[in-house]
Amino acid sequence: MAKTRSYDPEEFSRPLRRVLVGLLVILMLALFLLWRIDSPRVERFRTALIDKVVPDLSWAMLPVTKATDIIENFQSYARLYEQNQQLRDELQQMKAWKEAALQLEQKNARLLDLNNVRLDPMLTHITGVVLADSGSPFRQSVLLNVGTRDGIHDGWATMDGIGLVGRIAGVGERTARVILLTDSNSRIPIAVQPSGQKAILSGDNSMLPPLDFLEHPDQVQPGDRVVTTGDGSVLPAGLLVGQVALGADKRLRVVLAADYQRLEFLRVLRSYETQPITDPGALLVPEPPKPLPPGVQGPLLPAGGLPPANTDVPATGADTATTDQAVPDGTTGGRSD
Amino acid sequence: MIRNWIGPIWVHRLVFLAVVFFITFLRLLPLDTSAGHLPGPDILLCLILAWMVRRPEYLPALMIAIVVLLEDILLMRPPGLWTAVVLMGAEFLRARSALTRELSFGVEWLLVSGVMVAMFMANRLVLALAFLPQPNLGYALVQMVWSALAYPAVVAFSRYGLDLHKPAMGEIDAYGRKM
Repeated sequence: MAKTRSYDPEEFSRPLRRVLVGLLVILMLALFLLWRIDSPRVERFRTALIDKVVPDLSWAMLPVTKATDIIENFQSYARLYEQNQQLRDELQQMKAWKEAALQLEQKNARLLDLNNVRLDPMLTHITGVVLADSGSPFRQSVLLNVGTRDGIHDGWATMDGIGLVGRIAGVGERTARVILLTDSNSRIPIAVQPSGQKAILSGDNSMLPPLDFLEHPDQVQPGDRVVTTGDGSVLPAGLLVGQVALGADKRLRVVLAADYQRLEFLRVLRSYETQPITDPGALLVPEPPKPLPPGVQGPLLPAGGLPPANTDVPATGADTATTDQAVPDGTTGGRSD
Repeated sequence: MIRNWIGPIWVHRLVFLAVVFFITFLRLLPLDTSAGHLPGPDILLCLILAWMVRRPEYLPALMIAIVVLLEDILLMRPPGLWTAVVLMGAEFLRARSALTRELSFGVEWLLVSGVMVAMFMANRLVLALAFLPQPNLGYALVQMVWSALAYPAVVAFSRYGLDLHKPAMGEIDAYGRKM
């Protein structure tokens, strides 16, 4: 049957098609290879593309997100009584905390005043709205609607109202991507208070990221506060991260203070790098003296060189007084009396 | 009306692109940003394979490449690798479209699940060869199983929602040729 057909376009196009598809596959693999070798360039391209695409979708994303919020809020009406009781309890506790906080605030103000501490005036923030999340279950990041036009830089810390959320990784013109602390690529230098132990908070795609490289785990108790350190000049020091908890696998993990369930507005802290100390520190030595003018002999002269009044020595009394002050070593023997 | 202007193939292609846009849009919504959820199915993959089994001519390789590459870029995956894997899986099925046309759904499901497993494995293998960090095997397996389970649902949606079916006996295309 098929042989009787005189003309079939498939017969000619099929081998060609196969070659083209093969080329396409090779092209894609080459792109992957390029990304593996020169990741920053491709990532810049990715950021630029996302910057183009996603903000234009925000008109559609916002209503859907809000509608979902409304539905979730509506569901919570069902548990109104229960929540009311819970809130009353919490309010009682909060009152006690408020009292404690007020006292501490006063004490802190007094101590700061005593020590004449100046807080860093550069530490201001920009607030951005979360446009989109990573969309993949294996990546934890969100996209903010602020970018280079708002002066955002790579590496800046991002917080919600309470605790650290992540840091900026990838900035476009209108968007910036925040790598959350829970992402498996996130590594943050932290310190555990009050023991002051330093460690690395390494995200592992779970809600409770573990602490790595802790020197004395026995000095760390569940419930200890975890704050950032300024190590590596990655983040500003002293931002609240969360509390230590003992995970089900007996590893020390951190319960994050930020509310990851609902990231809506995020603060990006403007942190300008502190002056780095590059050399190990030199000896403090006086400036080397200038060489003597030709024809003059004597001990070392001061760095300023010889004053010109020195040469014509026996002059008026006032003049000699000034030269004596200037050159107290008596090389010229200027005292006439 | 549109059907008359651009032909039935392009109508279906546009429908496919619209569905892809909708899926990606839903995935990007910042509905829940907390970590540690079990991954859901890869609906886009199911959709591509389901359409490829039914009407390979609706999905040219270039369109698959562009769509998956865009998804790669938007979802912060290594760009290009998953695209290449999906292209190869889709072309594998395209080359067997004469065979799959006669299969019952159960066997087709098995075949597609097999292709999916092969694709996930190939992806992981290349990632491991390139010394890239990857999600642990358990999570990847969950996603794979979910995708295989979601395949019948995607097929049902394509069949009854988008009127996509295998060419019937003696059906002819727009140029009057036998399919």
